[in-house]
Amino acid sequence: MKKNPHTVTFTINGELKTFLTEPDEKLLALLRREGYQGAKYGCGQGTCGSCTVLMDGRAVYSCLLYAMQAEGREIRTIESIGTHDQPSEFQQELIAGGAVQCGYCIPGMIMSATALMENETTFDDETVREYMDGNLCRCTGYEKIWTALRRVLDRQEAAGKKK
Amino acid sequence: MKLCEFLRPASLPAARDNLRELGPKGMALAGGTALHFMQDHTPVTAVDITHLGLSYIRPDGDFYRIGATTPLADIQRYRAPRWAMHEICRRIATHQIRNISTLGGNVCRVFPWADLPVVLLAMNARMVVYTGHDQELGADEYFKTQPAKRYLKGDLLREVKVPALRSHHGFGSVKVVRTAAAFSMVTIACVLELDGQNIKSARVAAGSAIPFPRRLPSVEAALTGKEARAGVFQEAAAQAGHDAPWRGREGMSTDYSRHLAEVSILDALERAASFARERT
Repeated sequence: MKKNPHTVTFTINGELKTFLTEPDEKLLALLRREGYQGAKYGCGQGTCGSCTVLMDGRAVYSCLLYAMQAEGREIRTIESIGTHDQPSEFQQELIAGGAVQCGYCIPGMIMSATALMENETTFDDETVREYMDGNLCRCTGYEKIWTALRRVLDRQEAAGKKK
Repeated sequence: MKLCEFLRPASLPAARDNLRELGPKGMALAGGTALHFMQDHTPVTAVDITHLGLSYIRPDGDFYRIGATTPLADIQRYRAPRWAMHEICRRIATHQIRNISTLGGNVCRVFPWADLPVVLLAMNARMVVYTGHDQELGADEYFKTQPAKRYLKGDLLREVKVPALRSHHGFGSVKVVRTAAAFSMVTIACVLELDGQNIKSARVAAGSAIPFPRRLPSVEAALTGKEARAGVFQEAAAQAGHDAPWRGREGMSTDYSRHLAEVSILDALERAASFARERT
């Protein structure tokens, strides 16, 4: 039996949980091992963005974080955003726009977009690029993803202005 | 870097004690992004310093005090009069990395492509190192050699004091990259102090296309006391070859690298002069 097991406690998608881990384990590895498999392993070096999750509301690469760094934090994964039966507004637009091909990058894209929508009130192109610049897609050339996101953001901006 | 243990000290002195005790087997961890790329796989104990209240930006007289564990994203988003640090932070890596990577992580161990040391050299920032008491070091002294050597005995960076730009000061920076999130090919930063149309003083620094970030004294000398105009900037930029061993890499020849630096210096100087004139 292992001595002195390391544990990490954090809120995951609204639930406070404690996990056994090792100091060297990456957050992405822990999440996937514990069933949060929407976060994907892509490059493993903080370039592609497919492992993006939210930590305290900010988009981060879970492949570049040790699991222990999540202690006391609030982590959100793609599983908190929408379901197959009830996709989020952005997910619906991605489907409607045919913006998903292999789909591997999409969870990360959605998490970055979620950070954008939750942290900003205006969505000029420069701000949107800033939030989305750490997510790569090798299939679509980005146009359809951008169009789908822009539709959601334009609606949110219009709704905000009406208030 | 392989982590075999993870400590969360409750204070800066406790963190220093941990690191002193661990010696080479300990490693301070803030954002930790660089640790993933270190080739040394000797197991080390991470001493997490992210919960020690060192994430802040505070105006304080002639300086802005920036805590060592302040994420780059916070520096990028901060706005205040006489503040210019956001410009370069927006251009470092990606949104996700800027949310994690810290000021301290970028200046305690300086990689050749690092942008912030170049900016801090140009701005004449001051680094506050906790050695049991606070020791303040000017950028010229701090970046004379690899700062990581300074931290081998457990000392820790507490904060960086960035001078507030005065009304006749101008700041300009240029970072040349192949793609938005790529490492820099050349980074230039400068601060010009204008006296009417003339340059009273200049600090110009470079990084990435040279082995280690440094100031460019020949360029600075060619600016001081001269009129702030394009011809003078061009002549000053042409001095860059005297100041640093420009090196070719990633398909760039040495000559190309030096030429890229000269063009970037010219661009940064024009930005700084324009910045200063708009605020005079």
